[in-house]
Amino acid sequence: MINRIIRQIQRYKGWFGGGAALCIFLGLYTGLLASPPDYYQGELVRIMYVHVPLAHTSTLAYSVLFGGSIWYLWKRDPLVDNMCQASASICALFTTLALITGSIWAKPTWNTWWTWDPRLVSFTVLLLILGGYLMLRRLVDDPMRGGRYAAILAIVGGIDLPIIKFSVEWWRTLHQPMSFSTRGVSISDDILIPLTLMSLGCWLLFAYMVMVRTQILYLTDLLHAKKGRLLSQTHFSQTTP
Amino acid sequence: MPFFKTIHWVVWKDLISEWRTRETMSSMLFFALIVILVFSFSFSMDQDAARQLIAGIIWVAFTFTGIIGLGKSFTSELQNDCLESLQMSPAPKGAIYLGKVAANFLFMLAVEILLFPLFVLFFNLDVIEAVGTLLIIFFLATLGLSAVGTLFSALTVQIRAREVMLPVLLLPLAVPVMIAAVEATRGALNGDPFSFYSQWIHLLIIFDIIFTVVSFWLFEFILDS
Repeated sequence: MINRIIRQIQRYKGWFGGGAALCIFLGLYTGLLASPPDYYQGELVRIMYVHVPLAHTSTLAYSVLFGGSIWYLWKRDPLVDNMCQASASICALFTTLALITGSIWAKPTWNTWWTWDPRLVSFTVLLLILGGYLMLRRLVDDPMRGGRYAAILAIVGGIDLPIIKFSVEWWRTLHQPMSFSTRGVSISDDILIPLTLMSLGCWLLFAYMVMVRTQILYLTDLLHAKKGRLLSQTHFSQTTP
Repeated sequence: MPFFKTIHWVVWKDLISEWRTRETMSSMLFFALIVILVFSFSFSMDQDAARQLIAGIIWVAFTFTGIIGLGKSFTSELQNDCLESLQMSPAPKGAIYLGKVAANFLFMLAVEILLFPLFVLFFNLDVIEAVGTLLIIFFLATLGLSAVGTLFSALTVQIRAREVMLPVLLLPLAVPVMIAAVEATRGALNGDPFSFYSQWIHLLIIFDIIFTVVSFWLFEFILDS
C-alpha cells in the first residue's frame, strides 16, 4: 500500500542526511578555518562560503518545484504534489537564509544592509511568490484543486528564475558577476574547494529535507484516507484496497 | 469559428453587463481618485521631486485600481452559477480566457485614460510631447497586468479570503511589468530621447508575450472541476 518510492526514501534518506552533514562540516572547516583570507575583502569573504551555496540551492529548489508542478499538471500524481509542497517550504527557508546572510555580508562590504538592485529585488520576489504559494495551499480545502492551483502559481512564478539568473548580466548591479561560466572557472582552488564542498552539502541537505517532508506529507494524506475522514476528497479514494 | 466567436461573446457579455450596472468602472474610478488624493498628501513635492516620483505614483495607483477590476471580473460570475456554466460549456477555455483578458484590459485602459489627465492637473505635469509614447506604455503594461491578473482572478475566486489572495499572488508576479512601466513612464515624462528607455518597452513586450502565452495554456487547469 505504501508507495514504492516512499519505501526507498525511508531506506536511503539517512545517506543523504549523513552526506550533507559531512560535506557541510568539511566545507565549513576548510572555508572558515583552513583557507586564506581574500586579497580585497579579507576575512569577510568567508560569508561567501555560506551565502552563495544557499542562494543557488534555493534556485535549484525552485527549479525542482517548477518541474514538479509541470509534472503534476500532466500526470496528477499525488506523490509529486507532496514533493512540490515540500520543495516550496524548503526553498522558502533557503531563500530567507540566503537573503539574511547576503545582508550580513552587504553591510561591511557595500556599507548598506539592503539595496534595490535587480538581483536582490528578483530574489525577494521569489520569496514572496513562495509565501503566496504556501498561503494558497493552506487556504484551499480540496486537496486536488489546491494542488492544481499551486502548480499553476509555481509555473507562472518560474518566470522570475531567469530574471534572477541573468539580472547581473543585463543590468549593471552591485552584485558580483558569475565566476563559473563556459569560458572556465575564474577563481582559485583555495576558494573553489570549500565552495564546492558547501554547495554539495547544501544540495544534499535540500534533498534530505525534501525527502523527509515529502514522506511526512504522503503518510499524513494516507492516514486521513485510511481513517475515512476525507474519503471523498483525497487522491487515495480510488486506491483503497 | 467557435474560438473567435467565443472571445467576441465573452467580451460582449462583460461590456454589456458593465454598461447596464456600471459598478466596476465606478468603483475603480472612485478608488483611483482616493489613491491620488492620498498620494498628494503623502509627499510634499516641489517640481523636481514630482518628476522623480510621479511615474511610480501613477503606476501604483493604476495597479491597485486594476486589481479591483480584476477581482470583480470573476466574482461577478459567482452569482447564478455562471462560473459552473463556464466550466461546463463546450467553448474552448483559452477563448474564454482571452475574452476575459480583453474585457479587463478595456476596463483598465479606460480608467487609466480617464485618470491620467487628473494626474496632469494635480501634479502639474508637462506631457504634450510624450502623449503618444505614454499611450503605448499604458497599452503594453495594462495588457501584461490583465494577462496575468485574469489568470489569478479565476484562480482565487473559489478559495477563501479571495480579496486578499489576489493582490498577494498577483503583485510579486507583476513586479517586472511594473518596474518596466515605471521606468519607461519616467523616461517619457522627463523628455529623455526614446533610445534611453526603449529597453524597458522591449521588456514590456516580452513580458506581455510570455505572460499571455503561459496563462493561456494554464487557464484550462483552473476551470477543470
